[in-house]
Amino acid sequence: MKILVIEDDVTTGNYIADGLRQEGHNVDLLTNGSEGLIQASVAAYDVLVIDRMLPGLDGLSVAKTLRGAKNRTPLLLLTALGGVEDRIEGLNAGADDYLVKPFAFGELSARIAALGRRPQLTEAPTVLKVADLEIDLLTRRVSRAGRTIDLLPREFALLEHLMRRRGRVQTRTMLLEAVWDIHFDPQTNVVETHVSRLRAKVDKPFDRELIVTVRGAGYRIDTE
Amino acid sequence: MILWSDRLRQSTPLRLTFILMAVFLVSILLSFAVAFVVLRNSVDESLRNQLAQQFASLLLIDDQTDLTERITQQAATADPVMQIVRYVPDAGPDITNLPGFVVAPDFGIIDGTSINAPDAATSYLATTTRVGAGRLTLAFARDQISELREVFWTVFILSPLITLISAGGIGLWIARTARDRVEAIRTTLNTLTEGDLSARVPASDHRPDDLTQIGLAVNRMAASQEATLASLQQVSADIAHDLKTPIQRVSVLLERLDNQGPLLDTQRDTVAAARMETEQIVRTFHSLLQIAQIEGGAAHDMFSPVDLAAIAATLTEVYEATAEDTGHVLTFSSSGPAIIPGEKNLLGQVVANLIENSLRHSARGSRIGVEVLGTPGSATLIVRDTGPGIPEAERGNVLRRLYRLERSRTTEGNGLGLSLVAAIVDLHGATLTLGDNNPGLLVEVTFPRADQPDK
Repeated sequence: MKILVIEDDVTTGNYIADGLRQEGHNVDLLTNGSEGLIQASVAAYDVLVIDRMLPGLDGLSVAKTLRGAKNRTPLLLLTALGGVEDRIEGLNAGADDYLVKPFAFGELSARIAALGRRPQLTEAPTVLKVADLEIDLLTRRVSRAGRTIDLLPREFALLEHLMRRRGRVQTRTMLLEAVWDIHFDPQTNVVETHVSRLRAKVDKPFDRELIVTVRGAGYRIDTE
Repeated sequence: MILWSDRLRQSTPLRLTFILMAVFLVSILLSFAVAFVVLRNSVDESLRNQLAQQFASLLLIDDQTDLTERITQQAATADPVMQIVRYVPDAGPDITNLPGFVVAPDFGIIDGTSINAPDAATSYLATTTRVGAGRLTLAFARDQISELREVFWTVFILSPLITLISAGGIGLWIARTARDRVEAIRTTLNTLTEGDLSARVPASDHRPDDLTQIGLAVNRMAASQEATLASLQQVSADIAHDLKTPIQRVSVLLERLDNQGPLLDTQRDTVAAARMETEQIVRTFHSLLQIAQIEGGAAHDMFSPVDLAAIAATLTEVYEATAEDTGHVLTFSSSGPAIIPGEKNLLGQVVANLIENSLRHSARGSRIGVEVLGTPGSATLIVRDTGPGIPEAERGNVLRRLYRLERSRTTEGNGLGLSLVAAIVDLHGATLTLGDNNPGLLVEVTFPRADQPDK
């Protein structure tokens, strides 16, 4: 993907840019808000990563201006402010996602992957299949290697979310947001517990592990 | 309307009007009474003089026949309503213009009703003296005093009536004007308390009086608070940015170090520990910033009707598995949906922090119950556990920022969880009470309901 990063702190900016380049993305890095706005307007990017506080023009204004000019490029806002109203203010300004500093690179990378519009899954949307695991979205039946697995409603939702985004890392906060609609960070590792419950039912009785832990980031269901 | 009259009854100007009117009435009554007594005494005095003069002129007549003739003549001409004459000679018949009239004492007042006459006056001043060869009684009607009394009564009743109407009217008018202006100040203060620091008391076209002064003082206070808050918000945004950027750098550097491998196990452990510490710094910092922002009150603008029971149910479910792993029994119950005006994420955080607090401070096997009870006027969130509880003396302290009980120093947590809960509860106009679950902690948060008008 072609990604524009606008971040005034050189250490953080290079860290983001280097990390994304290592993942195979094409990254441009700018440190000034107004320069960033011009660059984002003249060149076509797949994803914009913009710091909220920038010299020149702040990130919120960049987002607002781009959206005002009908630029729909997916935009991730980086910010030092994590209050509820800050998040809503950011989303209202036109950001598609919001990440509070400091963040782990895995979190950023997973969110950028989610923002970059990948082609939608083409298979019939009623049944999702990965290896020998199969879930039916209509009957809400889950089976693996022909054996039926009983899941609680929320475990089903968690599995469905991972299956729909197979091959992409889903971080703990992303799962909290998507499955439970929780937009704050609990201090306890609640997601780990839910994932390990799910694993105990879906992975443990079988020889191959489908739900993979990505160190420092989150979880992923691998394609084949 | 009932509310209006209640407010009016509490109005200071109107109460003052009533008090003043009562004082006025009492003083009128007193001064009238004094005036009446003084006037009556002087009327009686002049009647007494008249009586004395009459007697004096009769006493001058030496001849008994002349005397009898004068008295007979006087009795014949005098109207008994105005003047009663009775002469009882030592020999011969009585001379009188009112037969059956009883002899009165020396300068006594006789009640008119005691006299056997159809149209006697209300009262008489009478005296009896020996004149010539007989006793003469003369009684003068005190009709002037009766008239005086009537006049006094009329004036006494009419003047308070006029006072009552005029003073009452003016008092009511002043009270209503003052009430409207006091109401404006009250509304402004309430809005300010709720966190909207842009509220101002409207400028009044009244002459500058004490209320105007109060209004101006309120506006000055609000303006300075607004300025302070604006600079505070700017400062916290700046601090947040300036501190989080280096923290971000540290975590970047640690991540880089971790990836530089191969590291020794001890080095890896040190990196991991440093990362955990960084995370803790971020959490504490984030919580402090969040509390400050919530206390700023701006989140109030994002309130919408939310179901407290649904929020509590979701959070309970999120923590259920974790609770089971740590040997706790976490349960949820509710009396059905409980819609309140609020911010979903903040309310979720209240439930999360209370559950985490119970999980952290109660031993394995403890039960933690989350409950939402709705009544028509309020919705209550209850989180109770069977842990050690909080000693009564410490209950106020634990809501303070960074405060931790002595026994909890070694447990994880930063002492901000309950402070954050308290700040969010406050923002929602709810009340937080920490009580005893016998044994354990009982936390009750009572929210005003959406269908209940704001006070």
